[in-house]
Amino acid sequence: MAKYIIRRLLYLIPVLLGVSLIIFVLFNVIAGDPTAVLLGKNATARQMADLREQLGLNKSLLLQYLDVVKSAFTFDFGRSWATKQEITSMIKQGAYPSLCLTIPAFVISTVLAMLISLVVAFYRGKGIDLFIRLLCIAGMSVSALAYILAFQWFFAYKLGWFEISGFEYGFPDFIPYIALPTIVWILLSLGPDVRFFRTVILDEIYQDYVRTARAKGLGEIRILLKHVLRNAMIPIITYTVIQIPFLILGALLLENFFSIPGLGGITLNALNSSDFPVIKAMAILSSVIYIVFSLISDILYTLADPRVKLK
Amino acid sequence: MKTLMLLLVGSLIFTVGCSKEKNYAEREIHLVSPEKIFGFDPIHASDQYSSNEVGKVYEGLYEFHPFKRPYELMPNLADTLPTVSEDGLTYTFKLKKGVLFHDSPAFKDGIGREMNADDFLYTMRRLADPKLQAKGWWLFDDKIMGLNEWRDKNAALDVANYEEPVEGLKKIDNNTVEIKLKRPYPQFLYALAMPYSFVVAKEAVEHHGKEFLNYPVGTGPFILNKFDQSNTIVYHRNPKFREKFFPSEGEEGDDKLGLLADAGKKLPLLDKVVVHFIIESQPKWQNFHKAKVDILEIKDANISQTIDEKRDLKPEHKSKGIRLFLTPQLDITFFAFNHEDPLFKKNIKLRQAMSLAYNRADANKLFYENTAYEAQSVIPPGLGGYRKEFKNPYVKYDIELAKKLLAEAGYPDGKGLPDITVQTRNEPVARQQIELFAKSLEKIGIKIKVGMNTWPELINKVTKKQHQMYTMAWGADYPDAENFLGLLYCPNQSPGSNGSNHCNPAFDEQFKAATVLQDTPERSAMYEKMNETIAHEVPWVFGFNRTKLYLTHAWIKNYKTIEFQHSQVQYLNVDLEVKKELSKKF
Amino acid sequence: MKENSLWRDALRTLVRDKWTLFSLVIVVGYSLIALLSATGLIAADWAQEVGASNLPPSAEHIFGTDIFGRSVFMKVIRGTQIAMSVGLAASLIAIPIGVLLGALAGYFGGWVDDVITWLYTTFSSIPNIMLLISITMILGKGIFSVYAALGATSWVTLCRLIRGEVMKHKEREYVQAAGAIGGGHLRKLFIHILPNVMHIVIINTSLQFQVAIKSEVILSYLGLGVQGEPSWGTMIDDAKLELARGVWWQLAGATLAMFLIVLSFNLLGDALRDSLDPKLKGK
Repeated sequence: MAKYIIRRLLYLIPVLLGVSLIIFVLFNVIAGDPTAVLLGKNATARQMADLREQLGLNKSLLLQYLDVVKSAFTFDFGRSWATKQEITSMIKQGAYPSLCLTIPAFVISTVLAMLISLVVAFYRGKGIDLFIRLLCIAGMSVSALAYILAFQWFFAYKLGWFEISGFEYGFPDFIPYIALPTIVWILLSLGPDVRFFRTVILDEIYQDYVRTARAKGLGEIRILLKHVLRNAMIPIITYTVIQIPFLILGALLLENFFSIPGLGGITLNALNSSDFPVIKAMAILSSVIYIVFSLISDILYTLADPRVKLK
Repeated sequence: MKTLMLLLVGSLIFTVGCSKEKNYAEREIHLVSPEKIFGFDPIHASDQYSSNEVGKVYEGLYEFHPFKRPYELMPNLADTLPTVSEDGLTYTFKLKKGVLFHDSPAFKDGIGREMNADDFLYTMRRLADPKLQAKGWWLFDDKIMGLNEWRDKNAALDVANYEEPVEGLKKIDNNTVEIKLKRPYPQFLYALAMPYSFVVAKEAVEHHGKEFLNYPVGTGPFILNKFDQSNTIVYHRNPKFREKFFPSEGEEGDDKLGLLADAGKKLPLLDKVVVHFIIESQPKWQNFHKAKVDILEIKDANISQTIDEKRDLKPEHKSKGIRLFLTPQLDITFFAFNHEDPLFKKNIKLRQAMSLAYNRADANKLFYENTAYEAQSVIPPGLGGYRKEFKNPYVKYDIELAKKLLAEAGYPDGKGLPDITVQTRNEPVARQQIELFAKSLEKIGIKIKVGMNTWPELINKVTKKQHQMYTMAWGADYPDAENFLGLLYCPNQSPGSNGSNHCNPAFDEQFKAATVLQDTPERSAMYEKMNETIAHEVPWVFGFNRTKLYLTHAWIKNYKTIEFQHSQVQYLNVDLEVKKELSKKF
Repeated sequence: MKENSLWRDALRTLVRDKWTLFSLVIVVGYSLIALLSATGLIAADWAQEVGASNLPPSAEHIFGTDIFGRSVFMKVIRGTQIAMSVGLAASLIAIPIGVLLGALAGYFGGWVDDVITWLYTTFSSIPNIMLLISITMILGKGIFSVYAALGATSWVTLCRLIRGEVMKHKEREYVQAAGAIGGGHLRKLFIHILPNVMHIVIINTSLQFQVAIKSEVILSYLGLGVQGEPSWGTMIDDAKLELARGVWWQLAGATLAMFLIVLSFNLLGDALRDSLDPKLKGK
């Protein structure tokens, strides 16, 4: 086991080098000269030359690539071009609001999806199964923008049930602000979740041990909750764990419309101001977290299921 | 698991149910900033929204009178207007005594010290510091004796040497400064009223280093300990603010509007200022109409929600006591040609034809609900050099004439003319504006395409002359037509502010001669002439001089729209009684 | 042949289920609309003024008109072309890359597998949205950047699935037999194995198609997408301001059009998986 973990940890290195390479090729090789962008409408040619030097754009490509690699391992991303803030501090600042939104939304939607898929699996093939599945798929087929615009106008403005936008630090102050975006999140993620969970549960239902249990005269609900769910938990957990990294990225559109000062908003802002270092940092950061969580997910998988042998 | 769910849903509903009580004891105001700001370093405050925040904490030597129009400068950190030598090159400034910086760990014992002449000179040097790449440098570039030389010399060093003397920056005594200019610069005092040159303390800059942009230490009416980049900024009244009083005069009629009711009171009038960053227009509008925000600028589609055809506030808003302020803006929108593109350079008739085919009436109706005015030339109304009677013969809708000119230009019915791409920002309204332009020009056979860019990309394309046409709006930096005429001045071409790269030697000569003059009728006459001659050349397809629309709630007092907003908030007041009463309606 | 009957069975099941039939009809219908629009047979004059500005839906203008008096219905049709072309282009880029790399990795194993696995692990480590944003931002705006970005992100899943499936098939008897009678590697891989893993391509494509459509909408909304042509994303972008005026039909039109096709691809993808995936066969 320990050996496996070490091997997986070592595998981090080539993957991180690869991620750095993609980012480097995109932003340092393909992208053009950013200095005019940075200095604004009254720049002088001399100012642009000075800035190129300061940004290290006159270095050789290899050195520039090494800079990207270095930032992937040290998390020192330098300063934003647009806001001049230290990117690490921007990320720290934005992580809290993002997580306040995404964690509750994620937990609720996952739990809800579990419950729904159990019900759906219980009634598999019947009308209610089809109906709920259709509803979930319909829910995820509506554009997020349509939800946001309509809900904000109706529930927050017309009915006044929620705050229209904004954010406050500290529990429970933030709840009225995140409640509505949370609902939108749930509507959007129920579909894929239910669909995956249902498949997994159905996979188990047709296994031999279920047939045996049924032959022993156990009730259908009992089989479902005790045997099927326990076995289905393995893929469900791995599926769930692997989604966690995306929570850090926040929710681009939700944060923008609900004025939540999270990482999604930072990314969008960076996008609108061609702020390469911030986009680079977000891409690298999210990749690292993704890699770490996929490792955790793999380990959990092997721990939970002795049938899986480690390579 | 079910119980967990119930718990979560339950707590959600519970907390939603009990939202916070409003505060009627403190005079606080809630404002909106529609864009994120770039920190609190004055030398980088190049956009309106960063300037607005910098202006709450920092102050300059001069400021624009909050009520008088046309705009008038009044001393702020300076005690009086400066004495100027006869040749107009040497300015002597007297600074106010007893002005304290905010308390900050940067100072000895954490107590803010008195501002003095050294601080002002330090601020000026900081703008020129080659290591800092100040966005406000253009204001003083090549203007002050020895400052450019200082800048060049320090470019090679690792850290700029602030001790080295600069000929033009001289301290006479603790409160007196003498500044020598290279050549007459009548806009100099305006430059000292812009946030770029707001006074900072050396200790604070050095103490916070690169983090200085998050620790504003000014002398201004409000205090912010740290800018934490979240989506609200909360300022508190500066308890040690100097003796600065509400003005007792304004424009004619201001007293009748009740704008001078607070005359003589000590500033600032508010205890607390909260600025919310709200990017999208829907939540902005909704927050104002739920009274979570006190003042709102109305733009785009929200205009038709606000006013009727007679430009009156709609009754549903009136009944809540909401007030409407319509103020002509010192700005101009335009479709600029790239005059280095051979297509446009020599072909004045093509440019004129395009201007004549542009359906401005439709644009005004669709985008501004007829609140904007068709721009006749570069200078907007409200500045010296603008003449009401002047009508540009090419700013009208005349398809027949446009077709005729297009044929004379060598492209009958647009034949032989390539597609023209107009670059703009990637915002829906910006795109629609070009779509309307395209629709208009299609009628004479010219095909226009839309190019969408982020703001920095647009600037980049213009700076590098990689465009055929682009569209933009220009707002006044200061109330002098030079700021607009300069947009067509040849030496200002890219990467400078003349993004159209238009050049006309005769115009340039007049510009050089006029802009060194003080504001006199003679200069206005020269501006007029330049403005009207250039109009016939159609260097751009002129768009509009827009009107600013603001809504305030009834409890906001002393509000008057001002082009240079950064010092406005200290004059605002809140009527707590009215607020308490009216809040029931929201 | 056993495989033939799998496809025939699949087709039969697909047609039998009325929801699947419905999705099939929608997908075919949208494809036709896109094709006709692309060839200029319909909606070529979408930019024409058909009435006053911002008319609400009526018998004459079924989705109303936009700010310039253009028919929103025509714009929706035109947007269909963009949406379908994005899905198609993404698939055309993703399928060859994904299938080829996946097959090579699965079949040859060893260092080939290591390199290809490393490549797709790297790509999948960068969250899709970040990669999409980065690529469109760097390549510049326009429909081709969107194609490229979606192509670059969507081959990964397919590659991984194909690799796994080819690995399984490699050990099967029929492949071994083909090897015994002297079939070369290429022959074994392309003639014998690939046809047997094609169902994965079909299932994956139908699911990726809707992801591509949704991504285009988001990218256009962010201003990174299509320019100068109506797309559902730009329509929704416009709508966010127009809602203030009470103009809801542009949002409704684009959302409805997108809803139907995304829903259909989802249902179709599910149905295809149920009927084509041999693992689930017979349930």
